[in-house]
Amino acid sequence: MSALLEAIGIGKTYPGGVVANDGVNLSVNAGEVHAVVGENGAGKSTLMKILFGIEHADRGELRLDGKVVSFANPREAINSGIGMVFQHFSLVPSFSVYENVVLGSEPHAGIRFDRQKAIAAVRALSEKFRLSVDPLPPVGQLPVGQQQRVEILKALYRDARILILDEPTAVLAPQEVEELFVAVRALVEQGRTVIFIAHKLPEVLEISDRITVMRGGKTVGQVAARDVTEQSLATMMVGREVALRVDRASNDGAMACEIKALKVKSESGALLVDDLNLRVHAGEIVGLVGVEGNGQSELLEAIAGLRPIADGVAYLDGTSLSPLSVLERRARGLASIPEDRIARGLASGSSVAENLVATRLDDPRYVRNGLLDLKAIKANAEKLIERFSIRVGGPGAAVSTLSGGNMQKVVVARELSEQPRLLLVNQPTRGVDLGATQFIWKSLTQARDAGAAVLLSSADLSELLALSDRLVVFYRGRIVAAFLNSDTLTPETLGTYMLGIASQTPEEMQGGLR
Amino acid sequence: MIELLMTVLSTTFFVTVVRTTTPLLLATLGGLIADLGGALNVALEGMMLVGCLTAVIVSVFAPWYVAVLAAVLAGALLGGVMAFFHLRLKADIILVGFAINILAAGGTVFALTLATGGDKGTSINLTSKAVPALDLSFLGVIPGIGDFLVRMLSGHSILSWLAAFLVFAIWYFLYRTPWGLWLRGVGEYPAAPEAAGIPVNAIRTWSLLVSGGLAALGGAQLAMFNYIGFTRDMTAGRGFIALGAVLLGARHPVGALLAALLFGVFEALAVVMPGLFNWIPAELIRMIPFVVTILALFLFSYRALQARRLRSAGH
Repeated sequence: MSALLEAIGIGKTYPGGVVANDGVNLSVNAGEVHAVVGENGAGKSTLMKILFGIEHADRGELRLDGKVVSFANPREAINSGIGMVFQHFSLVPSFSVYENVVLGSEPHAGIRFDRQKAIAAVRALSEKFRLSVDPLPPVGQLPVGQQQRVEILKALYRDARILILDEPTAVLAPQEVEELFVAVRALVEQGRTVIFIAHKLPEVLEISDRITVMRGGKTVGQVAARDVTEQSLATMMVGREVALRVDRASNDGAMACEIKALKVKSESGALLVDDLNLRVHAGEIVGLVGVEGNGQSELLEAIAGLRPIADGVAYLDGTSLSPLSVLERRARGLASIPEDRIARGLASGSSVAENLVATRLDDPRYVRNGLLDLKAIKANAEKLIERFSIRVGGPGAAVSTLSGGNMQKVVVARELSEQPRLLLVNQPTRGVDLGATQFIWKSLTQARDAGAAVLLSSADLSELLALSDRLVVFYRGRIVAAFLNSDTLTPETLGTYMLGIASQTPEEMQGGLR
Repeated sequence: MIELLMTVLSTTFFVTVVRTTTPLLLATLGGLIADLGGALNVALEGMMLVGCLTAVIVSVFAPWYVAVLAAVLAGALLGGVMAFFHLRLKADIILVGFAINILAAGGTVFALTLATGGDKGTSINLTSKAVPALDLSFLGVIPGIGDFLVRMLSGHSILSWLAAFLVFAIWYFLYRTPWGLWLRGVGEYPAAPEAAGIPVNAIRTWSLLVSGGLAALGGAQLAMFNYIGFTRDMTAGRGFIALGAVLLGARHPVGALLAALLFGVFEALAVVMPGLFNWIPAELIRMIPFVVTILALFLFSYRALQARRLRSAGH
């Protein structure tokens, strides 16, 4: 069987000298699910952007049906039958599902937009490909999983033969992943081809027929899914053996943080965290499980002092945090690794050294008589760069020049440079490569072993399962289930609670709540 | 008080309201098109003012419709300037808008001086033309209500009828044609139309051209019907009131009509009241439309906030 879509010797160097693709080969057969895996920064996204006409290759060629093609822009790629679903959806929130699907290629009667025809077309497509979604409601009101279906329908409406899905499972709960896979299989049955970008290996092994592995801008190899294991794939991706497990805590510390009947409201008054009770002990990691937007982030922000507490109390070592400012909370041993490192964790235009002392500007070691002690700040930076193996030119380099993983290490280094009492962690490894992920995980467990109470929120269930000693599941601002972590706890079990399909009784929760 | 009521309920007052509303409505529709396309057009004021002067000067030498057309083109040109600086050179649209307003305020006086050979305040020495009123006196033959209909409907500027038609035309464009969908998509979430291969910047450019043209059309009505001739700063903040009317009208063409009517009524009141209440300083009365704008926007924001609270509490 000859390949439907081929990329041969693709090279791409971005202005600024970053080599994103260096002799990349990809060969996708018709009617298969072809996964492209690799760490962040391996060049997957660049390759896909070249396939879709967003970026242009400096070297190499693309072949579609054996003929050499080049796409000047996405429109040309779409016209050749290639569709792409990005991680960030391109949907207009107030438009209905069918309006979003047909946007740009509307059926019309004269100058009038033929709505009935559009609705019928969307219904037919969603039936044919088992992507059930009501065409009428505005997409802004739909859950993420359904929005993703709308994106897929958009590509199918434009007759995509080849569908590129960029990290489609990153935003989905386990059950939604299953539904997506049902749709992907339906697509393949109908003769469509799916290119599946991912880094969660179990999913890749489940859905794909063949896998292309990328590392450092090069293709490492192409394998059939049935011939590899998770471990051997991970080794191919990283280029060395990786341990994907960390040890759990055995020590039983004193209670560090107690949250009582806590409520947090949005600016418009909606309850984001509703009557929440939780205790966190020194020396344990409590994982906050939940589909994004169910109150986990807001809880962490409220404790950190970035959001007002509407009602209830949060105690740190017996002191109520509500009346304290962010700095006062930090002085009591609170540290926080926020969700968005660029917007909230760092001042990206400032240097690494400045960022590393940004939370200690009242510390006489770095500031004397109201003036910065540049020598001490530099020494501190050099020490932390060494300790956290941050890859950077020097303490004076601007944070914005660092890769995602190294930026995150700067945040982690600052927050853990002094042992915290309570550590708030939100999405610690989002957009961070496997090597740095391992390092950050190790840093978090070290902080825990040294006696920190840790609250961890992550969209990545495998991360939560790997790190947490206990897990609590959030649904609409409430805790609906609590577990002690064990090897028998599966993502599927958590998923039922994450989607609000089930909830534990207070008695069942006791064991996980302590 | 009785006198005021009598005046307000008279057909003459209705005619005055239509007259004061028309320039506002046209500018509001212009603001609406730009706003839905994702560009807050703060230059409506300047565009109207340039529309006024262009209409007046061209009408000295050409028929009235050529003058109106010239005004529209001048406004569209300013919209094009805005698009060029904002979309091509990536300048901040608010700053570009204010630059155009300042340019218009000074530039119109300068151009007026050149055109009149020295007058800096008004075009009183130019014999400019007016937009004709549509004579519907044939309706008078209808028995019973014929006389009333004539007094209500006859004698409005042709541009008033055009403005009313435009409300419908723009509504149809926005909600019944594919291109209206594109424009609204571009304004709300440009990444979506971009991914669908819709030329986002071209659509924004068009929306600014149309926005400028409509604002200047409002200017033409102001300088060729409401007043005959140009006076410096004669738009007197109508462009900014229109900007408020876009929001007050919930970013919908029919809402724009209602909001423009509201401001039109108060402007008409400010016209008739000094004659009735000579003990109130005229300056105070002339403040009414502006005070009403502030109050209306305040109430609108407050109600929108309440509605959001209610909605999220219902969840």
